[in-house]
Amino acid sequence: MTGQLALAGCIALVFGLGAYRATDHFGAFSAINVWLGAGALAVALAYGAVRRIRWGSPDSRRLLLRGGGITALALTVAVGLERAADRADLRFDWTFEERFEPALATRRALAELCGPVEILLFYDPRDPRIRRTRLLVETLAGYGDVSLRELELGAAPEEVDRFGVGSSNSLVIRLRDAAGSGDRYRLAERPSEGAIYEALYGLCAARGGEILALRGEGEGDLERGDDVGYAGLAAALATEGYAVRSQVTTSLEAVPEDVDAVLVIAPRRHLHRSGLAALERFLGRGGRLIALLEPGSDSGLEAVLARWGIEGSPSLLHDPVDGAQGPERDGAAIVAYHYDRHPIAAQLDRNRMTYFSGARAFSLRKPEALDELSGVVLSSPEAWLSADPVRLGRRGGAAPNPGVRRDYFAIAVAGRYVRDGRETRIFAVGDADFASNRHLRTLYNLDLVMNGVHWALAREPEITLRPKIRDTVQFPLPVTDSLRSLYGVGLLLPELLLIAGGAVWIRRRAA
Amino acid sequence: MAGESATTPSSSAACPAVEAVGLTRRFGARVAVDGLDLTIPRNAAFGLLGANGAGKTTFLRLVTGLLLPSRGTVRVNGRCPVREARAVQRGLGFAMETGRLYPELRVAGFLRFAGSARGLSGKALADAIERVVDAFSLGSVTQRLVGHLSKGTQQRIALAQALLHDPPLVIVDEPTGSLDPLQRREVWSALAGLVGRRTLLICTHDLEEARALCARVAVLRAGQLVAEGATDAVLGGADTLSLFRPAPGAAPEPRA
Amino acid sequence: MTPLLALCRKEIASLFGSTAVYLTLTGVALVSALIFFDHLRLYNQMLFVYASSTMGGFETDTIPDYVNLWDSVFFPVMETLGLTLCGAVPLTTMRVFAEERSRGTDELLLTTALAPGQIVLAKFAITFAFVALMMVASFVYPAAAIERGGLGAQHLAAVFVGLLLHGVGVASIGLACSAFTSSQLTAAVSAWAVAFVLWDFAWITPFASEPVAGMLDAIALRPRYGHMAEGFVVIADVAYYFGLAIVGMAIARLSFDLRRIGT
Repeated sequence: MTGQLALAGCIALVFGLGAYRATDHFGAFSAINVWLGAGALAVALAYGAVRRIRWGSPDSRRLLLRGGGITALALTVAVGLERAADRADLRFDWTFEERFEPALATRRALAELCGPVEILLFYDPRDPRIRRTRLLVETLAGYGDVSLRELELGAAPEEVDRFGVGSSNSLVIRLRDAAGSGDRYRLAERPSEGAIYEALYGLCAARGGEILALRGEGEGDLERGDDVGYAGLAAALATEGYAVRSQVTTSLEAVPEDVDAVLVIAPRRHLHRSGLAALERFLGRGGRLIALLEPGSDSGLEAVLARWGIEGSPSLLHDPVDGAQGPERDGAAIVAYHYDRHPIAAQLDRNRMTYFSGARAFSLRKPEALDELSGVVLSSPEAWLSADPVRLGRRGGAAPNPGVRRDYFAIAVAGRYVRDGRETRIFAVGDADFASNRHLRTLYNLDLVMNGVHWALAREPEITLRPKIRDTVQFPLPVTDSLRSLYGVGLLLPELLLIAGGAVWIRRRAA
Repeated sequence: MAGESATTPSSSAACPAVEAVGLTRRFGARVAVDGLDLTIPRNAAFGLLGANGAGKTTFLRLVTGLLLPSRGTVRVNGRCPVREARAVQRGLGFAMETGRLYPELRVAGFLRFAGSARGLSGKALADAIERVVDAFSLGSVTQRLVGHLSKGTQQRIALAQALLHDPPLVIVDEPTGSLDPLQRREVWSALAGLVGRRTLLICTHDLEEARALCARVAVLRAGQLVAEGATDAVLGGADTLSLFRPAPGAAPEPRA
Repeated sequence: MTPLLALCRKEIASLFGSTAVYLTLTGVALVSALIFFDHLRLYNQMLFVYASSTMGGFETDTIPDYVNLWDSVFFPVMETLGLTLCGAVPLTTMRVFAEERSRGTDELLLTTALAPGQIVLAKFAITFAFVALMMVASFVYPAAAIERGGLGAQHLAAVFVGLLLHGVGVASIGLACSAFTSSQLTAAVSAWAVAFVLWDFAWITPFASEPVAGMLDAIALRPRYGHMAEGFVVIADVAYYFGLAIVGMAIARLSFDLRRIGT
């Protein structure tokens, strides 16, 4: 009877607390079960103890006292140890942030600061993000002339107004001008290593060159800040030292002499003849071109590129292996991690992916033997080209036709040509969206486009991997890697255990 | 000491193997052993008889120290199993009823464990295992799983593990319960070989078994001693069976 | 070999001679792998949905902060595993003492040179080792899968330590419950009851005063496990689990005395 009562009490407790855990709500069902269960258990234990334990013989008492004493001692030791450890407050921070290490680009930027930098951290005491931000700044301060000052929001209203601080956990990165002409500063309201890096770069960047962006034929708008605009790219170019100005193609008779490179972003209509001719002459005299072309477009630039050995396919590229695992799952949105050996992609690898929401492929043919043409970013070997114009329109589709060619296709290419002692460089990408505001910060897209610009303008020392505004732990894992881990470890291990168990079972039956 | 043949240093030759004085054990309101006064001499084969629920197994558990007496005392080879439990257990071997073994172990592994658990090791352990395997004809089954063997073989294994450390007192509880006649003969033969060099306390309700193995017997009924003496004298009478007739209201022995 | 080591060896032989152990390890490894993979797949999908959404721009992150490997995959899986262990580990510990009692082999052990304390120590030690093996089986795949994601081996180590200590803590509860019964079912159910009660005491806060609630919070399992799941190895938490183990052992040892006295 006592055992039955105890068992019933335990079951009631399990159900009561199990229901609470499952629903996160301590309702009547949970409460009744918990209290009744605890009560039944207490009654059963007490009754069982009174009924079973005999205090009669001295030996019984002695044994009980000894056993109870050992248990009490164990409890005392346990509580004492825990309280002592708690008072000592010894803890090891093994979190990812504790092991924080700045990127190479950040360390270089800190080492090459053009003056002492003060970082002001504006905070609310109850903001839990402060710990991480403080740790980040303190770590960075170890690599350059950087100091940290913390200001509580409510206690520093003047500074808040002066710098336009709107929320807790905001940083003001201030460069103290040694010449005394005034401080320059940048505000980072969502502090990260990437934000601080860009601020430092922007405060100290040397002049990189003049870029002429073509417009007038539906090209991407460098001043537009919504997700289809390219204001982010413009800001990145400015941060890294480039002065960008634009010109309508119809009025372009010749590319000005002071322009170092021409930037063309996804023209939707055919470029004017005069503009194309000006571009051809510019390239012929050693100019630099950065072309971001959408699949399915015919802007006239394709013919120009073809004369330089870069032939763009009109088809849409599908990659079933590297295709993104989004809802459409058609392989048109590509997460690429195959890179050729080229300075632009020098630091990109299978863990540093680039994302293209729809891309065309290029094929390369050297116009002259000494020309250097490379596919910088490649698809997987299972990719194929869809010639179906309907597919181009809706970015969807089924499996390829039988017999269609599957191969590595170049999504981004780089060409270097030496003509009459002059060097022409072209960086072309078969997608323009990857550099739009929507996708510029996705994965390593920013690094690809900016490194392409640096290479095109022969500023290879500036090629780097920029620290991310968001954590690397916010990046996806390649599907193939995930599956490989699942098959290789996640499923293989249980399989081996089951085989071992079966072998044991068979051996036991035979024994 | 572990592994020694246990002629206990602190007991003299005159000290009986087991001596119970006023031994009582209660389970709640039920008295399983009631004021038992019993002396079991050394180097004898002694049978403890009684019907089911008479208190035999409870008495054995009191002797081995698995239970504490509610009242009274018991001494084993001159020692108290409550206060000197380890010393008492070093000097006794306990062969329980069939089935209280580890069925998932092989016979050799089980004997090795039982010997090691009693403090044997190295050559002493190997020799002990060889001795008991020979004594109980277990050579053909050493690599078999205990759980796959017949009840008779398991009973021999239980006896074998009780004798690994060569104890002066061997307690056997229901040695041939549920065995067939051939298996019973095998076990009796093995037990008979133990008599003379050590005290053998056999707990049984089988009169034929008691007559075959024991020089002296004691009969329990309702936890009380109702007869004790030479086997022929106790079991030779015309109303022998009346000794085993359960007292009114007697319940089966609890499994402790 | 000392009696204690002999018992440890016997326990290992009994454990790995039983097919149930392999089934348990297989089940734990498989279930945790599939749970983890499912979370990972959903995380990747969510990531790409956000990456191609119409929200956001240059200055605003397209992907919310909480969509990261840690918050979207690892932490939920570890939370689930923590509670799963409260249910799974008692199924492992229920037989340790209860089966001995039901078979009667506990009397065999007690009539050897083994003291009750040694029996308890050996069984606890081997069970803890088996629980550690279970944790390794459940952790290998998640660790291999996301170490490449930059979470950091040190962070993973903290999480594994938490998982291990939590498993050992629940095992201590399970073993203490198993020592008081010969029924494996009773052992399992009572261990579940104690483990679920100790998991967290948030439900009692409406009924208890602040000091009492604070004290109950100090003995709850979830906050302790939660620290390590986040990457903080707090020595007080390690001491808590250590204390749980020694109290469990003391209670299991007490069961032997109580059996001799009363039952």
